[in-house]
Amino acid sequence: MKNVMSNKTAIILYVLPSLLLVLFLIYIPIALTGYYGLMDWSGVGQMKFIGLENYKKLIHDKLFWESTWHSVLLALFSVLSLIGYLIVSLILASKIKGGNLFRKIYIIPMLMSSVAIAQLWIKIFDPMNGLINSLLSMFGIKETPLWLADPDMALYSVFIPIVWQYAGFYIIIMYAALINVPQELIEAARIDGANAFQIAYKIKVPLISGVLKVLVILAVVGSLKYFDLIYVMTGGGPGHATEVIASYMYKEAFGKFNFGYGSAIGFGLLILSMGATWMIQKMLRVNQE
Amino acid sequence: MKEKKILDSKPRSPLRQIAMGILYFILVVVALLQLYPLVWLFLLSLKTNQEVFGMSPFALPKSPRWENYINAWFDGGINQYFFNSVWYTIVAVVLTLILASFVTFALTRMEWKFKGVVLALFMIAYMIPLHSTLIPLFNIYNKMNLIDNPVSIILSYTTFNLPITIMILLGFYQSLPREIEEAAVMDGCSVHRIFFRITLPMTAPVLATTAIINMIYNWNEFVFVNTFISSEKWKTITVGVNNFVGQYLTDWGAIGATLVISILPILIVYLFLSDRIIEGLVAGSVKG
Amino acid sequence: MKKKAFTWLVLLMLMAGIVLSGCSSSSSDSASEGKSGDGKIHLKFMHDWPKGSSTAYYNLVEEIIKDYEAKHPNVQIDVEVLNPDQYRDKLKVLAASNELPDVGLTWSNGFAEPYATGGQFAPLNDIIEKEFKDQFVPGTVEAYTFNGKSYALPMEMNITYIFYNKEIFKKYGLQEPKTFEDLKNIGKTLIKHGVIPATVGSKDGWPASMWFMYLADRIGGPTILTDVIQGKVKMSDPAIVKAAKEVQNLVDMGFFVKGNTAFSNDDAKGYFLNEKAAMFLTATWELPNFTTSPDVPQEFKEKVGYFKFPLYEGGKGTDINSYVGGPGLGAFVAENSKHKEQAKDFAAYLVKEWGKRSVEGAGILPAMKVDTEGLDVPQMYLDVLNDINNATNITTWFDTQASPNVSELHHDLMTALFGKQITPEEFAKQHDDALAEEANK
Repeated sequence: MKNVMSNKTAIILYVLPSLLLVLFLIYIPIALTGYYGLMDWSGVGQMKFIGLENYKKLIHDKLFWESTWHSVLLALFSVLSLIGYLIVSLILASKIKGGNLFRKIYIIPMLMSSVAIAQLWIKIFDPMNGLINSLLSMFGIKETPLWLADPDMALYSVFIPIVWQYAGFYIIIMYAALINVPQELIEAARIDGANAFQIAYKIKVPLISGVLKVLVILAVVGSLKYFDLIYVMTGGGPGHATEVIASYMYKEAFGKFNFGYGSAIGFGLLILSMGATWMIQKMLRVNQE
Repeated sequence: MKEKKILDSKPRSPLRQIAMGILYFILVVVALLQLYPLVWLFLLSLKTNQEVFGMSPFALPKSPRWENYINAWFDGGINQYFFNSVWYTIVAVVLTLILASFVTFALTRMEWKFKGVVLALFMIAYMIPLHSTLIPLFNIYNKMNLIDNPVSIILSYTTFNLPITIMILLGFYQSLPREIEEAAVMDGCSVHRIFFRITLPMTAPVLATTAIINMIYNWNEFVFVNTFISSEKWKTITVGVNNFVGQYLTDWGAIGATLVISILPILIVYLFLSDRIIEGLVAGSVKG
Repeated sequence: MKKKAFTWLVLLMLMAGIVLSGCSSSSSDSASEGKSGDGKIHLKFMHDWPKGSSTAYYNLVEEIIKDYEAKHPNVQIDVEVLNPDQYRDKLKVLAASNELPDVGLTWSNGFAEPYATGGQFAPLNDIIEKEFKDQFVPGTVEAYTFNGKSYALPMEMNITYIFYNKEIFKKYGLQEPKTFEDLKNIGKTLIKHGVIPATVGSKDGWPASMWFMYLADRIGGPTILTDVIQGKVKMSDPAIVKAAKEVQNLVDMGFFVKGNTAFSNDDAKGYFLNEKAAMFLTATWELPNFTTSPDVPQEFKEKVGYFKFPLYEGGKGTDINSYVGGPGLGAFVAENSKHKEQAKDFAAYLVKEWGKRSVEGAGILPAMKVDTEGLDVPQMYLDVLNDINNATNITTWFDTQASPNVSELHHDLMTALFGKQITPEEFAKQHDDALAEEANK
């Protein structure tokens, strides 16, 4: 009986195509990124082997660590926001009237491309005509904040649209997971006198913990390598106040023609992501036991 | 399915009603906020550049510029790009879903060595930043003679979405009941039969979810297209959007129009797939 | 039943996908065979003027290509168009794989240098000598010249002015300023009346830098920034630090639109076009917007005037006809091109025709000398062309002259200077550090 599920041919048939694609189209670039990281290369012309020079520079590069800190902050924010999304998903999936409609609407911003979202939020944050400051001045607040232009606020300001943009992504997955929770278990708990909160906390959430764990990893890794909106909205500025690892890497590799150093940053990011994932898995496994 | 719609059969206390009222109020407000971007986009698509900048985003266009749509369709080349976007997206989504399902099935249901290694390989593949891949990938495709060939786009979309799709599926497969599959094994079904006839249908809601996510990613992607494609005839609709971005001038009205045109098809498909998420509902939600 | 239907749908789509992708790849194969089979020479040409955003440029290029193909029936030009950001990135990827197009466009100085010295661009001295003798505006070819070889045929030439809203000036009884002190007083008057004196998109760095560059020119003399690039003068020179300080003085008095460190050039331009800001320091590539563009209302266009950046009392730059500006894009030919001679021929034709037609046809100032005699263009163009002919000096933009490395840093530092995140001294020092590091390489 076990034989069926350890059928070698089937396993190879199922796994190999994907594995080959990934090895070929992702691992070769990963290996090459590591290799370029050992070079002094502008991306044009001759490469020069310089060993670990780029990595040594990286360790002492204040800007790199600053960008890393910003990326880590984004990761923390994203993970925290998961709690909010979970609550929303629990409400929407709890068969309240109109839940399905609300869910559909909530996910709509996710359909928009980053180009549109960036423009929308630049307009919302505009210090003079923007939505937020117009509202604030309507309530009589004179000294309205500068948002993206204020180095102390820019980073947090730019987090808001990012977290908002991804809300749909997480909600749609959590929702699908919650909908899959067997109704019988919930009924049984209800008959035992459990209220909605207890059912959510004791039954639904543990049952979708597998999905939640994956989402935490996706949120952290996705945040660490995040690029799009930040690059369009602030370009990493003002004065690197919103620089993240990926934008820093892009600027070095494509803007400044330091392709070797840019690759080293990319490889550093990869290692950081691996470390973070390993840690999350450790932590969540302990939690579950 | 229907018999489970027991809803809240408890009697409603006034306190509970007030709580529900507040809840609905919040839900509606959030819904309006989420719909605002669509309205904004539509208004944007009817404005001149002058109206887009330096004015409140609420301001209505003085005289709606419907010609922005004509501009978008012809000058932006959308008419040409549209079909490409559609079929790249469909092919890549289907390939990704089927390949990812295969892998996830093998990882969670089958018995073999190196599972951990293979899973780790897929997870690490998710971590590479996009811009690190461009030069190596261009080289690979160039050697394979796939530059300016849609195959390079399909392959890139499929491969780069595989890791995240596998990870999401993994979360679901782990919580899905295995009883039916086990019963099928007892009955002497072949692996393929189990996969195609039992597991795949059972995961329909999840597949719909990942299909939506994949579709959105592919539809809005442009870095790969710009890098690997050079002929007009193979470009996609997001390239059309970027055609309105210039060095000294960007035509935001036309960009808005292009974005409206480009969001409609995925909006429709999304609403359609979105219902599949619940319809397929726990097909195999076997008792227990 | 529905479940089954869904599975079948998925399978069907999969099959359709395989068939479709199969079809298309085979059709593209046949297309590429057709390419080699039609006996024509195919030249790849890449530019960054998309039809949607740079219509006039795009159409002019198309026109010239058509004429060229008509004259050379054995040649076909395959054009690829990308927007500037993506164009930059793609050029980089292509160069890394030695796959540059036969003919393409490049920015001058710092941007072109890695490509030129890295052996990607072909030297074009022969055709410049043969076909373009004395036809380019002085200083433009030099912007693409490294180690005595010239690598591109310049196409654009822009200088910068302060454009202003004549109506707003009139309303508050303001005159075009002669000195920097006048300019500040104009600012004070406007602020008093609640009008934003000037708009600037300092998120992008380069628009902000124009203010700094002019002040450096007026305070430290017309060659000072070029001298910095060449290592003859340090950025920490008192004149340059003073220029940076004056920039911050303007920021302090509220001369610039609020929140400008988060504005792109486009965002900032909106304030000028909507008459919320009175002045906008920008380059002549905006001329169509202020004269011929059908997208801008006529009544606004009639209000736009311009003046030269005023002189600074006691500064070394005493000539108001010294400008900040420079060549923009030029046409290069790839060193690896399989049809190098044909590519050179096309590039030369393109640039030559461009020089003849661009002012009247597209409102673009070319890098070739233009004969204003009998030119049918708005007065503002004639004035500007006149100014270019009478210019005593045109300092190429600092960020263009600098290496890509220093250029990016300069943009970041400009934003920080406008945002008052750094002092003028730090601003100078960080430049000097980067320049010194580069010199040591």
